[in-house]
Amino acid sequence: MSSEFRWVLKGRCYKLGHDVPHAGGVIPNRLIVARQFDPKELVRHLFEETDPGFHERCRPGDIIVAGRNFGMGPKMNGYIAMQALGLGLVCESMPFLAYRAAIGVGLRVLTDCPSVTTICGAGDELEVDFESGHFANVSRGVSREFPPLPDALREIVELGGNSGWLKRWWENRETPMNADGRQ
Amino acid sequence: MAMTAVEKVLARASGVTSVKPGDIVHPVPDFIMIHDGVVMGAKRELDALGIDRLAAPEKVVMVTDHDVIYGSAGAAERGAYNRRAARQWGVERFYDVGRGGHGHIFPMESGMLLPGMFYFDNDRHATNAGAIGAFGFRMGAEISRVLATGTNWVMVPESLRLRIKGTLKPGVHARDLGFYIAGLVRKGRLKLDLDYRVVEFAGDLGQFNLAARAALCSSPTEIQAYGVFFPPSDGILAYAKRRGKRPYTPVFPDADARYEADVELEVSGLEPQIALPGGVQNTVDVSEVAGTPIDHAFIGSCGSGMYDDLVAAASVLKGRQLAPGVRLFIAPGSEHSTQRIVKDGLMQIFLEAGAVLLPAGCGPCNDAVIGPVHSGEASISTAANNNTGRFGAKDARLYLGNPTTVAASAVAGKIVDPRGVTPAPEVLKLAEAA
Repeated sequence: MSSEFRWVLKGRCYKLGHDVPHAGGVIPNRLIVARQFDPKELVRHLFEETDPGFHERCRPGDIIVAGRNFGMGPKMNGYIAMQALGLGLVCESMPFLAYRAAIGVGLRVLTDCPSVTTICGAGDELEVDFESGHFANVSRGVSREFPPLPDALREIVELGGNSGWLKRWWENRETPMNADGRQ
Repeated sequence: MAMTAVEKVLARASGVTSVKPGDIVHPVPDFIMIHDGVVMGAKRELDALGIDRLAAPEKVVMVTDHDVIYGSAGAAERGAYNRRAARQWGVERFYDVGRGGHGHIFPMESGMLLPGMFYFDNDRHATNAGAIGAFGFRMGAEISRVLATGTNWVMVPESLRLRIKGTLKPGVHARDLGFYIAGLVRKGRLKLDLDYRVVEFAGDLGQFNLAARAALCSSPTEIQAYGVFFPPSDGILAYAKRRGKRPYTPVFPDADARYEADVELEVSGLEPQIALPGGVQNTVDVSEVAGTPIDHAFIGSCGSGMYDDLVAAASVLKGRQLAPGVRLFIAPGSEHSTQRIVKDGLMQIFLEAGAVLLPAGCGPCNDAVIGPVHSGEASISTAANNNTGRFGAKDARLYLGNPTTVAASAVAGKIVDPRGVTPAPEVLKLAEAA
């Protein structure tokens, strides 16, 4: 595991409401339909339909805070863009397959954080530890403890998602075989 | 600790004594299923990482059911790619064109999928496994990790219990009940959140044989359920025993298992249902839309592709003809069922009625690769869902009904209550006991 992985993000709050659909609400549907998974192509379209130019204004470490039912489905294109921009995601709830998709692309994400949208506003300075679940709104001086990312899933996020995990798994599997001729 | 049925299946497959909802486990599957539409994506992903061998090729079951007879040059190319992939990976259990049928039906009929088993599948209709008392887990694109490593992480889902009270009236089909349940959930009359939940059926289940249970697995899946489970009846255990090719242990829920929700549903007053265009949850009694003209009809899919569904349709079609201008496609769920309908005389009934038989598999239900609808047409079918554009043209109106409703409507040229048509008793006698 990479010890330098940053589990704590410090940045500004980017606040969204409830029931934000992935298509349109997070990233244009045409990129989902086109099965566009290239981060370089996706980042400039993040929140394009609701907030043009978002990718130029956001900074690594900024945290998207959303309400209930974020993403509304299993699509992953928008999470690829968030991960590539160095953002984190904290939401009150998201469908399980949206959560699984976010983990699968290596996004730092916390879900099941009840009422998180009521303790922060757009632009507040936040500090979120995705490993422990500690959520602090520095601007308002309030904090909460939310369910952390499960232990069993941390390695996937640390390695940049499923693809990175599989790559590491395959390399580790090969090494002993190459070193001593047996596995 | 007391467990629900699916919790027991996951605990056994994961080699632990118990699990609870929210636990993350890495179950070892009895087999791994991947269909023709996604082999290419998985193979390319693994090839790009240099992963040139699978953890357990002997467990991998490749199935050609989504695009069986290649309606396009691209499909033929994909078929060739899939055959090369099977050779390179050393997958011998490859149910290619004409060999198996629908991946969520023929494994139950052939004894591959047996009570208590656990398997991984790329496709969400793996929920059909619950009909025989097993659990299939949808992996989507992450099936590549299962192929490479033999497993993947699974968060143990919450289970809900749905207790059925009463008996369906004659002429009312399990598929009607499935549509009805989806409608109640979406209208908020059954207060259940099905997202990533397992629906465990209980109560008066003796009336539901394997085909009826498969029909009941369909609609909950379309409204986000991740699993459906039926405790196997004596009849289904006997069915499995006759076909089983390997050891298996049936699983039943503990009497004091914990369910996130536990609701009872009275079904004895239910009428045949129609799902209006746009989703399985848009349900109404058939009387509300009777008379709506139709152009296109289809019987088959994971929800209604068992042999008994074909029997039900044939019992209505016997001695009758499709209305002028109506085309009816029938896709059996398995090659075995196709052989059986020839032997039992159902094929003759379908052909004399003017229906067209498709190869065993998904039929038009997969992105209309075969038998699509045209702009402005109306269709009635037993497809898994009727979401906009499922059969091609986005402005076509897609209705869903049970197999007898579809057959009777194809004969009438308009949506009708199937109970107005007397089924042929000698055809109905062919239905499975279990």
